[in-house]
This record gives sequence, structure tokens and C-alpha cells, in this order.
Amino acid sequence: MTDNLLLTTTVGSFGKPEYLTKARAQAARGKLGATELEELERKATAEWIRRQEEIGLDVLVDGEMYRGDMVAYFAERLEGFKIGGLVRSYGNRYYHKPVIAGKVARPTPMTVSWFEYAQSLTSKPVKGMLTGPYTLLDWSYNEAYPTRRDAVLALAEIVRDEARDLERAGARYIQIDEPAIHARPEEIEIAIEAMGIVTAGLSAKTISHICYGDFAAIYPQVLDLPVDQLDLAMANYGYRWLELFDRNPFTKELAIGIVDVHAHETETVDVAAEGIRKGLRYVRPEKLWPHPDCGLKTRTVEECVEKCVAVVEATKVVRKELAKVPA
Amino acid sequence: MTLKTTVIGAYPKIGEGLDGQELRRALHRHDRGEIGDADLDKVFDEVTRATIGEIEAAGVETINDGQIRWDDLLAPFARSWSGVEAGPLERFYDNNTYYRQPVITGPISTEGRSFVRDFTFARGVAKARLKAAVPGPLTFATLTARDDHYRSLEERVLAVADAIGKEIAGLSAAGAHLIDIEDPAVVAAPRHIELAREAYRRLAGRGHALALVTYFLPPDAVLESLASFPVGVVGIDVRSRDTTAFERLDAFRTQYLLLGVVDARNTRLETAEEVAGYAERALKLVPEERLVLATTTSLEYLPRDVARAKLAALVGGARLVTGEKVIA
Repeated sequence: MTDNLLLTTTVGSFGKPEYLTKARAQAARGKLGATELEELERKATAEWIRRQEEIGLDVLVDGEMYRGDMVAYFAERLEGFKIGGLVRSYGNRYYHKPVIAGKVARPTPMTVSWFEYAQSLTSKPVKGMLTGPYTLLDWSYNEAYPTRRDAVLALAEIVRDEARDLERAGARYIQIDEPAIHARPEEIEIAIEAMGIVTAGLSAKTISHICYGDFAAIYPQVLDLPVDQLDLAMANYGYRWLELFDRNPFTKELAIGIVDVHAHETETVDVAAEGIRKGLRYVRPEKLWPHPDCGLKTRTVEECVEKCVAVVEATKVVRKELAKVPA
Repeated sequence: MTLKTTVIGAYPKIGEGLDGQELRRALHRHDRGEIGDADLDKVFDEVTRATIGEIEAAGVETINDGQIRWDDLLAPFARSWSGVEAGPLERFYDNNTYYRQPVITGPISTEGRSFVRDFTFARGVAKARLKAAVPGPLTFATLTARDDHYRSLEERVLAVADAIGKEIAGLSAAGAHLIDIEDPAVVAAPRHIELAREAYRRLAGRGHALALVTYFLPPDAVLESLASFPVGVVGIDVRSRDTTAFERLDAFRTQYLLLGVVDARNTRLETAEEVAGYAERALKLVPEERLVLATTTSLEYLPRDVARAKLAALVGGARLVTGEKVIA
């Protein structure tokens, strides 16, 4: 049986169809109502659930059709945050960087109804998707809390409440992304403490996605992050993080990025499969999850599909190899 | 005598309103092939002109051109020099801002005139003293993603230093009286401090007025070393982390000290009194004529309206120290 080996998934976001991109721009200019926009977001979500099923992914996501930025989405729904002005992230790309201007609080759940909707469309499991407290702080301006730790711990309670609501709504997988975790390696203890608040008492499988930055600077300490699975970009880094596992064995489940998300071209199935084989040198197949390096929101729908297909096809190749080898 | 003030690095390229977003629109149109290079250049120049005007209007003493054409500290140089390309994106230190990592494919070379045209334009526009800037050799070399040519970090740092030296000579010949060398790696990777010193020896031999500008981290691990670098000005960030720098500033016996006191990475606005407070702490160990108040780093980490308010806080603080009346 190789069914439960090398479960495939994605990091969370997919490219938005053109009709939705246009609708979001119209809505931003006040030319489209919230109800009309949501209808299109639901349509796009349903399309992505169907596509993921067709591609053959094992654990699905809602694709985040209703989110722009992974921090701003939450900041817009939390008390205490102000939406800040535009700042550049790179090239000609700008985002509204949130400002923590007062004590943070969560008036209502922020992601639960989208999870419920996406899960209602499929019998495969859908992951609940949250941004972690350390990243929420690090990607915002902090005007309100005396220290970064104070702000992170306050945000941890909010993310915890959202995670519990997701679990109550039936989520068996909850992903709490911390792409900023290595921004200041000396603060890894704070990120770990905060994640402990978020995941305490959850029975769902917990996952954290980490990307873009010096992973070596927080390894092996990051193994203390209280989640079941770490989800890492590897293809973009030529799999060099795996070498860290030679000295300090990796002790969690590993979701391994085997296709780069920032290139228009997709790796061949052979190249992607080789990525899985590299991962298998360090992590057993029941604990290794092939997926793309990062969220796919910067890619077109067609490119997203191509990359996910490469992941699934590469996984089939390696599953076959595993089936031939007596355990 | 008013305490001197200056800015560091890049200024926000766009503002909030639609009329503040010409450059963003022009770049989109350029990407789509709707406008050509000459049209885009015109917009770059206009935004540069407006930026210089804004920094001058705030009352900053030594200004720069806001680096409006630069998409990050390294890429403009990687694109201009032969032997280097602007490669994959990576996070720039502890910011949610990304840069193109240099990829070295062969021996680095440059005529050293990459930014002479831009500097000359800015100089024609500026009324205040205008300084130029280049990236630091240690930062460029340590943030390189791949090097197919040089055999060690040391070789790479020194080769980059030679290229930067040529750019410094070019800018200097174009009339730059002072050149910032933005080198955060000197404080972020203090283990390479002696290698950095060797690189700066190569830059200093040419007799130009140079400022070694560090940021993102305080200089605690290397402060006394920096004080013996062969540069006329040293810039330090005293806001991004806790620091013991204020107790050790007497190490700077001859250099000008560029003190990053206005936090360019947080929207919380300093009062003029707060800025003056930092200056007064420094003045216990550094004479007034060698102290320059500055932002901690590029104001581009902030929205433009906040950047403008930060400049006002900087200048207001500097005037407060010398007892001038602050006009709100």
C-alpha cells in the first residue's frame, strides 16, 4: 500500500482567474458591491476545489480567492489594526502595510465560513489556513505594544481562537504560516512561545510554512516550533537546507517544495521527482509531503495547474518506486 | 549653529493619492510596451525632482536624490556592471522587502560611470548639498547568490570593492562632495569586519569623502573597529535594537558620526523632543560639529506621508538641540 505515502498538497494560495482580478479592482474603486464580489470569490473557490480534485492532490486548500495579502487580510478584520499606506515589497509591487495602533482583538471568526464552504464542495480534506502571530507582527508596524514580544503574544491569542474555531468547524489540518520566522533569528524563542499558545490543545494536524530567508540561522531551534509539520521551500534553494539535517536530524513531518513558484516555467516531472527522492534520504515517506515551494498567487491559473500537475505526477513516479522496494 | 541633518538611502517612490503614483503607472505601462524608455526616463526624472524638493522643503541639510531609479540597493549595480547579473529574489535582511541577489558570472568590471548621468541630473535640480550613494562591498559580496568566478569571499569582496571604487571616482568627478557607502553587512556579519576594512582601504586610497553607513542593527559588535576605518563619516543605527553605542561614542575621535535616530522602519512618529534627547545623549561624547542626525535607514520602508512626517521630526529635533524655535 502506498496510498498514505507522499501525500500531496499545496501551500495555500492559487492564482486568481481574470474575472476575479477585475472584480477586485472594481470593488476597490467602489464600483462593485461586497455581495457581488463574494459571489465571484465563491465561484473561483469552487473552480479551484474542482481543479485540485482533477489534478489528484490529496489535501486541498481553498486557494485564498478572497485574500489579497496574507497579513492585510487578517489586519483588516481585527480590532487594533489600521490599514497603513502603500509600501513597496519589490520591483513595482506595493502593499498596504498594516499598523498595530491599539490593543488587538478579534470581533468575529475570519476564515471559518470560507473553510466550511470549501470543505462542503469536496470529500477530500481541506486545510484551515492562518498567518502566524510572529509574521503578523513582523509584517506590520507596531505603534501600540511596548515590545515586539508583547505584540506577538497578544496576536497569538487571536490566532489560537481562530484555530480553535476552525477545528470546531471540522478542520483536520490547520496551517499557521510563519514566513517571517527567520527575520530576526534571535527572536526564534518568541515565535516558538507564541506558536505554543496557538496550537495548545488542538487535535488537528498542525503545519507551519516557512519561506524566503536564512533557514540555516534558525535550525535546529525551529524543531521546537510546536507544530506537527514544517512546510519548506526547497526547490528555489537547490535543496541546500536538507544538508542541515545531516548534523541535526529532522524530527517533524516535512512538506517539501519541489517546484519553484517564482518562475514561469515548471520543472519537469523527472526533476520534481528527484526532489522527492532527495527528501526521502532524510524523512520517511509517510512523513514527507510533496508540494510547490510557496503559495502560487503570483502565477496564472494555467501556471498553477501546471505546477500542481508536476507535483502529483512526480509523486506517482516515486510512489511506484517505493512500491517495488520491500519495506 | 544648527545640528546637521541628513537622509539615508531611498525615499518612497509613490504617494497615497492617484497623482502620487505616476511612477507606478509608468512602470506598468512600460512593462506592457505602451510607453518607451524615454517616456519612462522622463517620469523617473520628474519623480526625482519632486523627491529632492520634498526633502529640501523639510529642511534637511545634506540631501540625496531618493534613489528613485533603484529597485533595491544592489540590482542597479548588478545590472550595470559586466560579470554580474541581478538574480533571484530574496528578503533584504529583516524587512518584508525583497532584492535581486547578484549572480556573478565572470570578472566584474565597470567604467565607473553607471550613475553619473543620474547624479548630474539631481545636482542640477538640488539647491541643498547633494550626496551620492553606492552599495558597500561586504553587503554586495555576502548577498551574492552564486559566484562562478571568484574562488573565495575575500576575492569577491575585493573585486566588488574595486568596481565600487570606480563608481566612486566617477561620481566624485561629477561633483559628488560626499558618497555614502551603504553597507549593512558590516554590522549584520561582524565576523567579516577585517575583510571589510581591507576593502575600505582600497576605496579610501583615492582621497574622496566617504561615509560608511550601516543600518538595521546597532554597531555594538564592531563599534571600536568602525572608528578606525579609513572613512571620514561613520553612520550607525541606534534604534533598531537595544544598544550600548551611546556609552561608547568617544571611540569616534576624528570621524563625523551620522547618528540614525529617527526610525525609518516604524510608523510611530518621534517627537522633536525625543529626537533631541538622542542627540543630547550623543553630545556627551561627540562634539556638536562632528554629529549629524539622520534617519536610521531608507525612508522607503514607510508610506510617503509618514516619511515626510519623519523628516519633520528629524529637523525639528535637530533645531531643538541648539535652541532654535520649532515651527509646528
